[in-house]
Amino acid sequence: MYKINTERLIDIFLAVITAGTFLVLYMPIVVNSIFSLVPSDRKGIHWEEASFEWYWRLFENESVISAIKATLLIGVIAVVIATFLAIILALYVEWEGAVFRRTIELLVYFPFLMPPIITGLSLLMYFDRIGIPRGEITIIIGHTALVLAVLYRLVLTRLRAMQYTLVEASADLGATRLQTFRYVVWPQLRPAVITGSVLAMAISFDETLITVFLAGDTTTIPLRLWGMMRVGFKPEINALVTIVLLVSFIMAIIAAIRLKSPEGNEE
Amino acid sequence: MNYQLTRFAIIIFVIAVPGVLVIFPIGNFFLMSFWQMENNQIVKIFSFSNYLYFFSSPAYWGTFLSTLYLCLKVSVIGVLVGYPVAYFIWKRKGWLKYLLILLFILPLFMSYIVKIYTMRAILDLSGILNKLLVAIHILQEPSRQFIYNQTAILITMVVIFLPFIILPIFLSLERIPKNLVNASSDLGAGTLTTLRHIILPLSLPGTISGALFTFVLALGDFVTPQMVGGPNGFTFSRVIWSQFGLAYNWPLGAALGVILFTTALFIIISAGLASQQSKV
Repeated sequence: MYKINTERLIDIFLAVITAGTFLVLYMPIVVNSIFSLVPSDRKGIHWEEASFEWYWRLFENESVISAIKATLLIGVIAVVIATFLAIILALYVEWEGAVFRRTIELLVYFPFLMPPIITGLSLLMYFDRIGIPRGEITIIIGHTALVLAVLYRLVLTRLRAMQYTLVEASADLGATRLQTFRYVVWPQLRPAVITGSVLAMAISFDETLITVFLAGDTTTIPLRLWGMMRVGFKPEINALVTIVLLVSFIMAIIAAIRLKSPEGNEE
Repeated sequence: MNYQLTRFAIIIFVIAVPGVLVIFPIGNFFLMSFWQMENNQIVKIFSFSNYLYFFSSPAYWGTFLSTLYLCLKVSVIGVLVGYPVAYFIWKRKGWLKYLLILLFILPLFMSYIVKIYTMRAILDLSGILNKLLVAIHILQEPSRQFIYNQTAILITMVVIFLPFIILPIFLSLERIPKNLVNASSDLGAGTLTTLRHIILPLSLPGTISGALFTFVLALGDFVTPQMVGGPNGFTFSRVIWSQFGLAYNWPLGAALGVILFTTALFIIISAGLASQQSKV
């Protein structure tokens, strides 16, 4: 009787901590979404005046629109380049028995493991030295270095699960290496590449600490938000924030579902 | 012939990618830390003066040490909160377990800058936290002690980095074979005994490596101190960041960066070693 009671108590105690933590983690997100719909001032929150007005106003803001465009463009290009690099690196490391295998892997994971400030400032000084002006291109390179680790990891895991005999069979049947890749390897890699791309896109979409070093005059959504927040609090910011959260949320959910399901099973 | 050429091209490519993205920038960054700034110009003369400057000025190494202490607090509080949460989720069954862990990881993907911004609004004098504490009579009137100081940085970092600590702890709990736990309870051990003798020791390596990674994240964060720390909330990364902004002293920034880099590398290697200690 005594034992059962203690166990119940422990469970209740843990449930309370978990629920509390959940509230703390989601409070910033929920608070933001509410204030983007409901106006508030010193007198309090005006629940009855809730509207989507701030969302419409946001779309009339040129600088916000251009930040959204730049962010998406940078993300897509960085993810495409990183995917391409990740596939080549993974194929080489896994099947060709790379010479510096461990070193290459370590370097690929490096920008992901190191504090972003290190990646940011080292790339900044490097681009400055070789004379590439800061802008979209430098951000794309920075993001590519960052998301390469994720894509490489997912592609490599998928490749390890695949039987190499399939490739040999394809070669025996007279397929060229390109044909083997196109008809045998790629269909196997595709789920991992899609999952990785969504995950990488979500990371790129939110990246701030590297981007701020490499941006120059270019503005991405996180940088735009940072700038708007320094000036002050406006419902317009909350509206943009809610959209940003929603997009990140959807991308994360897609990646999570794909990672869990058998077709996209990675780790 | 053609195949040989392609192969060679691929090898060059495979070596070039990490070279361009990592080795050259990091090499250049180390080199820069030995140069100087004179009359707003970078002078390429090799010397240790930036490092000597760091060690001789208490303002710099004092900030460095207090930042390490801050990151330690973030990690320790993270584990104290994160472990019970991970344990509770791990104890759930079936779909509920995975739904819960998903819900606790999702905030990772929710705009970092937005979280800091909202934390500032929550901790502010007129924020929700103060309203709540006054409403339940813990405080007589709204207090400024939660915003624009080191406490604000600590609270915000814990909230932002908590998912990074819950996930590795959960994963290391998942790796504990269920039959060990069952055997323990078959032999008559209660929840607490099993926790102390089976679960805690086996999940310790994962917990330590999670805590160390959180430490590195906190160490490299310069936006949180800037947004919620106010004039008194200086951390080492914020000092480095300022060298690339207003202070404009890249060589000094690089030298401070090398110190940060070395510290982070040491911690990451420790984390790697800790996770190799895992017995399951």
